[in-house]
Formats: sequence, C-alpha cells, structure tokens
Amino acid sequence: MIKASVLFSMSTVLLAVGLVACGNDEATTGSEESTTFHVAALESGYGSEMWEDVIEAYGAANEDVTVKLTTESNLEEVIRPSMQAGDYPDVVLLAMNREEALTETLVRENGLENITEVLNRNVYGEEQSVEDKLIDGFTETFATNPYADGETYLAPMFYSPTGLFYNVGLLEEKGWDVPETWDEMWELGDKAQEEGIWLFTYATASYFDTLLGSMLYASGGTDFYNSVMMYEEGVWEKTEAKQVLETIQQLADYTHPDTVANANPNDFRRNQQLILNNEALFMPNGTWVEGEMEDAPREDNFEWGMMPVPSFGEGEDRYAFSFFEQIWVPSAAENKDTAKEFITYMYSEEAASIFLDHGAVQPIEGITDELEGARQVYYGVYDDENVLPAMGTFVSTEPVPGVSMSETLYGSIDSIMNDTMTVEQWQNKIQEANDQLKQAVE
Amino acid sequence: MKKINEIITRIGTKPFIYLALISLAIVIIIPVTWIFLASIKKNQEFYGSPWELPNGFHIENYLEAFIEANMGQYFLNSIIVTSFALLFLLAMALPAAYVLSRFTFRGSKLIKSFIKAGLFVNVSFIVVPIFLLLLGWEAALSGILGGDFFLNNRVILALIYASTALPFTIYLLSSYFETLPSDFEEAAKIDGAGYFKTMLLVMLPMARPSIIIVVLFNFLLFWNEFILALTLMPGENKTLPVGLINLMAAERSAANFGPLYAGMVVVMLPTLILFIIVQKRLTQAMTVGGVKG
Amino acid sequence: MTDTKSRNLFILLCLAPALIMFVLFMVIPTAEIFRMSLYQWGGLSGSQHFIGLDNFRSLWNDMNFIRSVQNSILLIVVVALITIVFALFIASVLVREDTRGSTFFRIVFYIPNILSIVVIAGIFSAIYSPSTGLLNSFLDLLQLEGLQRRWLGNETIVIYSVAAALIWQATGYYMVMYLSSIASIPSSYYEAASLEGISRFKEFTSITLPLIWSTIRTTLTFYIISTVNLSFLLVTAMTGGGPNRSSEVFLSYMYNQAYGNSSYGYGMAIAVVVFIFLFSISAIVSSITKRDVLEY
Repeated sequence: MIKASVLFSMSTVLLAVGLVACGNDEATTGSEESTTFHVAALESGYGSEMWEDVIEAYGAANEDVTVKLTTESNLEEVIRPSMQAGDYPDVVLLAMNREEALTETLVRENGLENITEVLNRNVYGEEQSVEDKLIDGFTETFATNPYADGETYLAPMFYSPTGLFYNVGLLEEKGWDVPETWDEMWELGDKAQEEGIWLFTYATASYFDTLLGSMLYASGGTDFYNSVMMYEEGVWEKTEAKQVLETIQQLADYTHPDTVANANPNDFRRNQQLILNNEALFMPNGTWVEGEMEDAPREDNFEWGMMPVPSFGEGEDRYAFSFFEQIWVPSAAENKDTAKEFITYMYSEEAASIFLDHGAVQPIEGITDELEGARQVYYGVYDDENVLPAMGTFVSTEPVPGVSMSETLYGSIDSIMNDTMTVEQWQNKIQEANDQLKQAVE
Repeated sequence: MKKINEIITRIGTKPFIYLALISLAIVIIIPVTWIFLASIKKNQEFYGSPWELPNGFHIENYLEAFIEANMGQYFLNSIIVTSFALLFLLAMALPAAYVLSRFTFRGSKLIKSFIKAGLFVNVSFIVVPIFLLLLGWEAALSGILGGDFFLNNRVILALIYASTALPFTIYLLSSYFETLPSDFEEAAKIDGAGYFKTMLLVMLPMARPSIIIVVLFNFLLFWNEFILALTLMPGENKTLPVGLINLMAAERSAANFGPLYAGMVVVMLPTLILFIIVQKRLTQAMTVGGVKG
Repeated sequence: MTDTKSRNLFILLCLAPALIMFVLFMVIPTAEIFRMSLYQWGGLSGSQHFIGLDNFRSLWNDMNFIRSVQNSILLIVVVALITIVFALFIASVLVREDTRGSTFFRIVFYIPNILSIVVIAGIFSAIYSPSTGLLNSFLDLLQLEGLQRRWLGNETIVIYSVAAALIWQATGYYMVMYLSSIASIPSSYYEAASLEGISRFKEFTSITLPLIWSTIRTTLTFYIISTVNLSFLLVTAMTGGGPNRSSEVFLSYMYNQAYGNSSYGYGMAIAVVVFIFLFSISAIVSSITKRDVLEY
C-alpha cells in the first residue's frame, strides 16, 4: 500500500503542474485573430527556411496581410483533419502522385478553385503575365488541368527533370558510351555483367512513374501517351504499350538482385547506394537524389550524371520526364482573392530568386541560364537534339474502390522483377483497371 | 534414488535453460545496443555496414533533437498527458471492473460484452469521428468558453486516452478480480463494512499486481500514442511521439539519421526506467492477502 | 430493501463514469464508422452519396482486400502460437527455476516492447538486409549459404519476416502477464509436486498451465487485437505493403483506400468488416478454450 500511495501523491504533484501549465497556454493560443491568410507548403528537400523567406518578402510588400505559414514534411497528416472539419488553408503547395494523395482527393471531390484566369493576370508587381513567364507546355497537362477541359486548377511550381542517373566517372573509366537506344542498353548490360556490374536498379517501384511515362512517350508519341492517360479503351493491347511492358520485363534480367528486397520505404537508399558503389549502372531518379545521398560514401571516380530514357529505335526521340510540384487554392478557402494574388507573386523575380537560392527551380522562361554546376547539366538535358520533355499524369476520375492505376501499373513491377508475374498477367491487370477507371472518368 | 534422479535432471536442464535464455537475450541486446550506438553516430557512418562501431561520441545529435525539435517541451507535455490519463483511467476502470466481476445484476452480462466489444475498436478508425465530435462541441460552446477548450487541451486528450483504454483495462482487471476468492468480502460484510469500504480497503489492495500491470501497459500505450495526439492537438502542445514523428519526417527527408535515433532514445528511456522500477513488484507483491500462499 | 437500494446505488456509481465516457468516445464514433461505410465519400468536402451496401459488395470482389485478409489471419495464427510458447517458457523458467540474473533477463526480454515501431523496423531492416544484413552474414558464417534469402524481397517469405519481427516485439509483453500469474500460484502446490518427484515438464502441464489458464485465455484476445494493430504499423514502416502488396494487412489496406484512393466510405466498410471479423473470431476462440476457472 505504501508504494501505491507514493504513486498517487506523485501524480497529484503532476496534476498541479499540469493545471498551471495548461492555464498558461490557453491564454496565449486564444488571442489569435482568424482573419489571417494561411499558406500550407510541403517541407521537402529544399527546407522550410525557403518558405519563411518568401513569406517574409511577401509580407514586406503587403503590410496589411498577416500570413500564417504551415510547413511540414508530413503536411497531409497535419492539414487533413482541419480540412475535414472545414478549415482550409488559402493556398497549398503539394504535388500529386504522393502516397497520401491529398491533392488527388481534392481534385476528385471538385474541391479546387479554377485558376485559369490567374494565368492571364500580371505577375505581382511586374508587367508580364503569368502565362507569358511560364515555359510552354507546363499548363497543358492533366497535372494542371485535371478534368481534360482546358481549365487550369493547379499551377506548376518547382520542376525537376528526371531520367536515368549514373556514375559519369565509371563510364569514362571503362570507355563505355552513354546508350541512346534500348538495344545499346542491353549490349552495355552484357558488357557490364562480365565485370560484375549490374545494368539497372531502382529505389522503389513508384520511381517507375516517370520512367514509364518517358517510355510511353518514346514508344507512341504524345497522342498515344494522352490516350493512355485518358484510359482509352484497349490502349494497353496496342503494340506500343506492349513494347514498353516487354522492355521492362527484359530489364528484369539486368536488374541487381538485391533491388526488390530493398525497394521499401525503409531501405530504398541502399539501392541508390548501389550506383555510388559501382555495383549497378543506372537508376530512374530525379535531381533531388544528389542531396538525398549527399553524405553517402562513394567510389573515388564518382560523378553524378543523368541521361534521358533510351529510345526504341536508332535516331528516334528520347524523353526525360519533367516532374513538378503544384500550388493550388481550395475552393473552400476564405481568402481566395489574396490566394490568387499570392500565386502570381510566386512567379515574381523576387520570389523566384529566393526559391532558386534554396535550390528550387520554377518553370520560368530563361531560368536555366541562371543555374550553375551540376544543376545546369540536369536542367540542360533538353538542350540535346532529339531529347524532349515528357509531362503529365492520368486524367482525374471518380474514385473506384479497390482500383488504383498507379499501383497496378508500377506496383506490379516488383513481381515482374521477381519473375512471379508474366507480362501477359500484368497487361491483363492493367487492362482491367483501365476499363474500370474509364467508366469513372468525369 | 529419486533424489539422485532429480539432481541429474536438474544438471541436465539447467545448461539448456541458460543457453536458451542467453541466446534469446542476445537477440534482443544486440539490436538495442545498436540503437544507442546509432544515436551517437555521425551521418556518414550510416551508409557503411550497420555493424560498425561509432567513430566517436557525437553528442550533437541529442542537442539537435532537444533544441531544434523542441523535445524538452514535448517531454513535459507527454508527462502531463500520460499521468492525467492514468489517473482518469484508474478512477473509472477500477470501480467498474470490480462491480462487473463481483456483482451480478440485471444487464451485467450485456454491459460486459458491450465493453468487451470495445476491445475491437481500433483507435486509428475512430480518430476522425472523435475529432469531429470535439470540434462540434467547440463550436457550440465557443460563446461561453471561448477559444480552445476541447482541442489543444492536454487534459481533454488525457480523458480521451483514458476512455479509449477502458475496454482493455476493465477486461484485464475483471479477469483478475474474478479469480479472487469471495472470503474477504464476506468477512468484510460481517464486520459491517459498506460496499465502498469493502471495495476500497479490501478488494483494491488485493488487485495490486494487476493494477501494476495495467499502469505499466497503459503508460506505454499513452506514452507512445500519436494518432490521437496528432489530430486532437494541432497547436503547440505536441506530445513526444508527435514531436518524434515530425523530427523523423524532417530528418528523413534530409537523410539526417543521428538525431532521429537520438530522438528515439529520448522517447524510450522513460518507459525503460518505469519498467525497471515496477518489474520487481510485479512478482513480489502477490501475497497481500491472507488466503493465498 | 435498503440493502438492495444501496447495492444498486453502489453499482450505478461505480459504472456510470466509465460507461458514459465509453459511450461518448468509443460507441458514438464507432457508430459513425458504421454509418460512413454506407456512403460514397472522398473524405474531404464535397458530397456524400448514400449507396447502401455497395461498398461491401465491392469488397467481395476486391482481390487486394482478400489478400490482406489472408495475410492478417496468417500473422495472427503464427504470431500467437510462437509468442505464447516463448513467453510461457521464459516466464515459467524465470519464476520457477532459481535462475541467476533473473532480474536482468526480465528487463532484457521486456525491452523490445517499449521500442517504437519505427525503431523495430530499423532494427529488422539491418537484420534482413540482403548483402550486409546480420541474418545472411550469420548464415554465411555457419556455412549455410543455401538458407540465405532476400527476406523482404521474396513475395512468399516477406510475411513471415514481418511475423518474426512481431514475435520479437510481443514476447516481453506476454511474459509480464504470465510472470505475475505464475508467481501468484501458491508455492505449496509445487512443494507437493516436488515431493512426488514429478518432472519439470509434467509440473508445468499439470500445475502451472491449468492454474494460469484464465490468463492465457485473456491474452488470446489480446494476441488477435494487437497483431492486427501492430502489423499495420510495422508493415507501413518496414515494407510499405510490398513487394507488390504481398505484405498488405487489414489496416494498411484500409488506410490505402480511405486516404490514398480517396474512398473514405470504402475504407470505413473495411473497418466494419475487420471489426466484425475480429469480434467473431475471438468469440470463437474464447468459447473453444472455455474451461472451469480454477481457484486456489
């Protein structure tokens, strides 16, 4: 009994501490006014300081606006509950194709504000319109116009070319040329195998989203790509699609055997490490990988390189998928006008240079001239003849319970690599999902 | 002969038992030591073999966890929430478990299975409905109370922790109460003690081993809980696990492993200390009453 | 009469606080889940359509859901069986044998239970790593290269790899439960047994096991519930449900659908099915294992 009473008296002390502490806090949190402008932005590899700087610069120009900023790496978890309760941020920077799919959910629920007219407005404090400043093509895909009706609901923000990353030093040392077609890839793969190096690895299966996108473009061109994105009937039975799927299967023979075992949220860096250790030649990735692996040990001759995805035939166009993050206004936001004005400010020289200082590049005409070093190489990938940007995502549909195109398309790749699924089975699964989603297109 | 036999079997089984215990212990000790070592490692060291010893004592990881991730304040919050929750829980669950296991009355069976059904309700299911419920009350009462009362309040969070732990605790406590002999209650009744007195002075002390278990397990549960804390405390009053998750998300996207493991050590140390304190009592405090042993 | 009255008042006062809070924060929210499972809703603003039992009909044809059911059941069975053997063995040895350093062992065996799931995922990622991992290098040391596997890469093995991590985590928890109930068995029982010279194993099966049977029954329900909860956290942190969804479990699939696929109503339908499934499976287990409670 003595011990129990000690326990209880301890808790009473804590109780007293708790009451005092609680009393203090309520006083401070209650005083906030609700007429503030709320910006929510994903804290990605660029860091949260970038947003604090931009908000400060914006605040300096707009003294009457109080800005509340939320930047978190788990932004969805933080803002979803209040959104469910009807409390929306005014502007959100959050990309599509994330695991949590918050942006997609809003698209599907028609919860985004149409910002087509914002593109025609002048950039905040400047004479040029937003549309004129943006690089062509960035506001013409389903990633910005999700309903395929020409209306823009999401503005493109930070973009990053993706492709196959490799060690420039290793290729130079061995005297191997950068392969431009898949046939050259296989040849190089055989050569590398003799030296105990695997041709290919990937971080996780979801990294195939950009690789497959580039391959679909290379296989059938823009029209074909768009019909895939529109879930056109029978599109996966076409030879162009089959060619892509079979190439992936062929890639399985050249893929480092540890890849699937490490292709999970915990261990994916081990696959990226294979490139740094010269154990594998190529992996699909984006420019962020350099920062992600900054501290990782590497071979002496290591130097990051990125090449576009190989073409299927000699001299054909090669593609490097442009991944970009979007900024958007929820239609339930309170300060929509300020929000739209804020979006135009995002493309101002002042904002763009702050973003650039932190490594974030926006699709603004002429911005690549201001880049330096390795970044210039990555963003200069399109300077090459026959290399084209690929962009876009699947058109928005009503949600179909249990059916997800990205998981059918990319998730199955682990099984293809393990040889537990045939290309025919894969194709049938994709076709099935395609048909189900086709009916749900709005 | 029998004695000799026994000696032989004893010699025969002892080494086996030690071998089994020691190898099981090694399976646990190695990985746990690994975390402690990882928490003082430099970032570069995480890319090599995981079995290498740290190059030096990199205390900055802890400083970063405490200063940048604000773990100190969150630590205090966690202590407040956890102790309130334990108090609420014991105050509600002990009488209820006692009544449900020692009394039969109309509807007692129904209430028992009703509460048992609560065991199968996962907190991760109901967190959104709870949030909306509190939000509704907040809106209804905002005129009277003003500002945050139901949300961002550590005491309310503690109350909800306690409520969601009720089914488990009542179930565990009543299955213990059921095994207690009825002699004591009868004796107390003859002495003229009322129901409350019997419960407080006779039965609850006897339930001490199971109360210790309940405190231990629920402490762990409350201390590590993050889904409710994340949703119901959107303001500054974060608890330690939520702080850890933010820290992890931030450090992971920056591939900064040292502070991540340092944060984990900070979260797990209190539970380890608590267990070391109570573990002896678990097996020693059994013979409170007079009937057993 | 007055005695009945005061008895009733006592019962009411003891039960009321717990029941009110239970109804408020568990029953009402759960009812809300049952209600939402009848709607088509993306989870945020927008409109909610009442669609009756359509969500449940879709579940029936959803192969991914069926796989998550299979995985969950497999985990429940494997984890419960193996953990119970380990935990009972350790607990009875630590209480009944005068083992040296029993306090040390008690603390050590309990440690995995206080670790955050993220830490456990980290530990097992180091153990299972295909080339540098402890498990494969240990097998290498024993010249058992033939047994090396890609523990998280093989679609048939991965679920057992998850099970091993769960067992590692859970053993200490159940050890504590069994410790206290074995310790409360009067030592006179064992003294009598030792006079008769029966073996340790016989002693365990004829004295220890029957006397702690009610504790074991109680824990069976906990095994079922905690395996479902923990496997969700562990799978999310360790495998992300992969490769190709081969390690997906109940709750990870629920989250995947409710949030990742904008089908909140469908996710809630999964929650309802899981709830009913767990409730009935443990009712069955509980009625199979029913024996008379032995008092001592």
